[in-house]
Amino acid sequence: MSLKKFSELFGDLDSINSTNNKIEVLKRYFLSNEQIDNSWAIYLLTGKSNKRFISGRYLKNLFSQIYEYPQWLIDTCYLKVGDSAEVITLLLKNKTISKAKKLSNISLNELLSEIIPALSKLNEEEKNLEIKNLWETLPEDNHLIFNKILTGTFRVGVSIGLITKSISKLINIDEKIISHRLMGDFKPSIDSYEFLIKKNINLQELNSKPFPFLLANTIEDKIFKHSINDFQFEWKYDGIRMQIIKRSGNVSLWTRGQELVNESFPELVKKMSYIKDDFVLDGELLVWNFKEQIAFDFSLLQKRINRKSPTRTIQMKYPIIFIAYDLLEIHGKDIREIKLENRRIELEKYFSKWHYKTENNISDIFKICDLIYPKDWSDVLTYKEKSRENNTEGLIIKKKTSIYSSGRKKGIWWKYKVDPMQLDAVLIYAKGGSGRRAGLYTDYSFGLWKDQELIKFASAYSGLTNIEIKELDKWIRKNTLEKFGPVRSLKPEMVFEISFEKIQISKRHKSGIAVRFPRITKWRKDKKINDADSLENAYELMKKIS
Amino acid sequence: MKTKKEYLIRYKNGSLYCELADIWIDPSKPVNKALITHAHFDHFTFGCEEYISTKETAILLKERVGDNIKIKTFEYGEEFKINGINISFHPSGHILGSSQIRFIFAEEKWLISGDFKLQKDETCKQYEIVKTDYLISECTFGLPIFKWDESNKIANDISKWITNSPEKTSLLFCYSLGKAQRLLNEISQTNFKGNIYSHGSIHKMNNSYRELGIDIKDTIKIENKKKIDELKGSLILLPPSLSKGSYLKNFKNIQTAFASGWMSIRALRKRSGYDKGFAISDHADWDGILEVVKKSEAKNVFFHHGDSEALSKYLVEKESINVLLFR
Repeated sequence: MSLKKFSELFGDLDSINSTNNKIEVLKRYFLSNEQIDNSWAIYLLTGKSNKRFISGRYLKNLFSQIYEYPQWLIDTCYLKVGDSAEVITLLLKNKTISKAKKLSNISLNELLSEIIPALSKLNEEEKNLEIKNLWETLPEDNHLIFNKILTGTFRVGVSIGLITKSISKLINIDEKIISHRLMGDFKPSIDSYEFLIKKNINLQELNSKPFPFLLANTIEDKIFKHSINDFQFEWKYDGIRMQIIKRSGNVSLWTRGQELVNESFPELVKKMSYIKDDFVLDGELLVWNFKEQIAFDFSLLQKRINRKSPTRTIQMKYPIIFIAYDLLEIHGKDIREIKLENRRIELEKYFSKWHYKTENNISDIFKICDLIYPKDWSDVLTYKEKSRENNTEGLIIKKKTSIYSSGRKKGIWWKYKVDPMQLDAVLIYAKGGSGRRAGLYTDYSFGLWKDQELIKFASAYSGLTNIEIKELDKWIRKNTLEKFGPVRSLKPEMVFEISFEKIQISKRHKSGIAVRFPRITKWRKDKKINDADSLENAYELMKKIS
Repeated sequence: MKTKKEYLIRYKNGSLYCELADIWIDPSKPVNKALITHAHFDHFTFGCEEYISTKETAILLKERVGDNIKIKTFEYGEEFKINGINISFHPSGHILGSSQIRFIFAEEKWLISGDFKLQKDETCKQYEIVKTDYLISECTFGLPIFKWDESNKIANDISKWITNSPEKTSLLFCYSLGKAQRLLNEISQTNFKGNIYSHGSIHKMNNSYRELGIDIKDTIKIENKKKIDELKGSLILLPPSLSKGSYLKNFKNIQTAFASGWMSIRALRKRSGYDKGFAISDHADWDGILEVVKKSEAKNVFFHHGDSEALSKYLVEKESINVLLFR
């Protein structure tokens, strides 16, 4: 089947809003295409492929070089379009390329398993020639897909859940099974597709795969009406959500992003393999402050995530810990259908067994989460407010009777996050957005007062409604002081309430502080710039917290 | 050295103005004498003493705003004199009756492009190449990312879009004057043979086109009380102003699309709120603008109605054409 079909599928999925229609379109596609192409399609649609073969910048330079096109003109176009792959696609339309032979029947499989991998083996000059050749021989309606795959920016509005549903409907097998089959590694092949759509269910085959994660929802008012005794309370850690799977003696560490991270955390793999039983644990990976028995900041964990085979020194400098909060499987038996309160009993039982019976010490890297026992709902609030002191983000509230289903299942688990910190700041720079926000000024920088000067302290992209974005965009265009490429400096006039989660000292920033997850929570049209906060206020806030 | 005073035509209060003739082109505020390039509302304002346009533009305008305006009309190519300046209308290919306006004074030629396109459109006269010394051109789509597909390809896409969802009512939003008639003309040549309805404002313009001798497929005027079942699988043309608000509640099980040049960009398509976008425009694309600039043989070019920065820079650097700015 041709790449054209996949381009059409992309176009359809991109222009359909209704979930049911998307499922229909996907089913139709899966039914009418070769298994190998379906496998690649799933690979792309579930975002398992985001490998970047060349950068967007490279693509733009190459186009400019080949067709003698001014770079500044491509950059101007980019501001309007917001996506390098799409800009080049649109510009290619404008090149009347006549090649005698068009490759009309290239398949998705050929593109992904032959043509593109072959590209990365070429030297730069050959590679450039080959890309030019492909641009000129691929049919025009395949250009966008080709460019997007090259630049690793293929994304379309379908979730893994939607793909799961379509396959489930296609073969009439429960979604849970499909979503489990889709977990973990997925190597596109006829086999992997056949495995996905196979009618008989053999749980053994899911052995290497983690369970689909169960996620918490934002707190809802209605839960306060229930008895406090119906719930289990835990701290909400700010680390990496992880399942540790030990089956047939082999340990694998799977993140919620479905990445196998054994290589990054060898000390954890080693210690967990000392445990004699097979199990699946769900929990959080953190860099741990052993002196104070609290988590270190997420930024320290980031120093470990992308580093494979860390040295002893790194391991000592950023000591990790896995805090388990759930036991999902023991001795090969799936216990997800057991109530949470009973799973907890099992978790505690096994943890103490492992703690005492394992020859090597494992408790320096593995513990189970402490539960919190508030007396009533107002007590819950008190705990929540305390969470900053122990470097957690708030509380997780779980129904004691909940079974471990999957996804963001409603009405069983909630996160109750601590209120954000806030400062009023002045808008001082704006930059053009990309993707869906192309052509609008949507990336904002905010300043706080220091003497008579506004010092940049945070950038934020989110928090305004579409109507506000349009209104602000208009204002920005009229109140620009200077342009530096895509960035405009602005007349200080607009005040915004900025919310953020953490504030700490940073030498990298001129302001001397860095904040985590800054976002706009209110456009303070009622405030003048002199009413905005100063850097001094920010420092005070920081002192108050630590 | 020329000073701005010497330009025959300049910008004044946001509109083009010829001082020697004391005449305005598509003014946005009431004036004495106004030349009107075409009958879209963003090129027309009430309250002028006298309007001058082509015959077709005059008829369309009166149909839209009533007979209560004084319009003098001229044929395409017919020269008339005001204060010694020769003025004439020439087809601009934008919509029925649309025109470029040429001024000749003291052997100096000025051409105002009006809104224009070069693409095929059977519902109006093809753009006419007019030679000039000074060109004032629109540049709504003045970036090379804009390259229009043939209009019959778009019409086929629209036809497929409707027939692929036979259980739905397909609402296609487009400007009532010009775009709607061009689409009707193109769609009637595709495989789609179902019913086509149009909103009152579009229906009225269809009739005017027909009276002016343009062959437009007959459509059914959409009534609010139409039975839902009857609309299944049919196409309804509506003006964009109805896309937001309660009007859509009159229909069940719909899919929506917008026909506009801006729909060639994915981000704009996504932001528009329509299910689908069809990139078809009555304005020139990048190549169209460049072609007109070159073929007009203008030594000096001004741009308006659009972001002209990149286009100007390109013409100066690559084509050595003198691009001027209105002050």
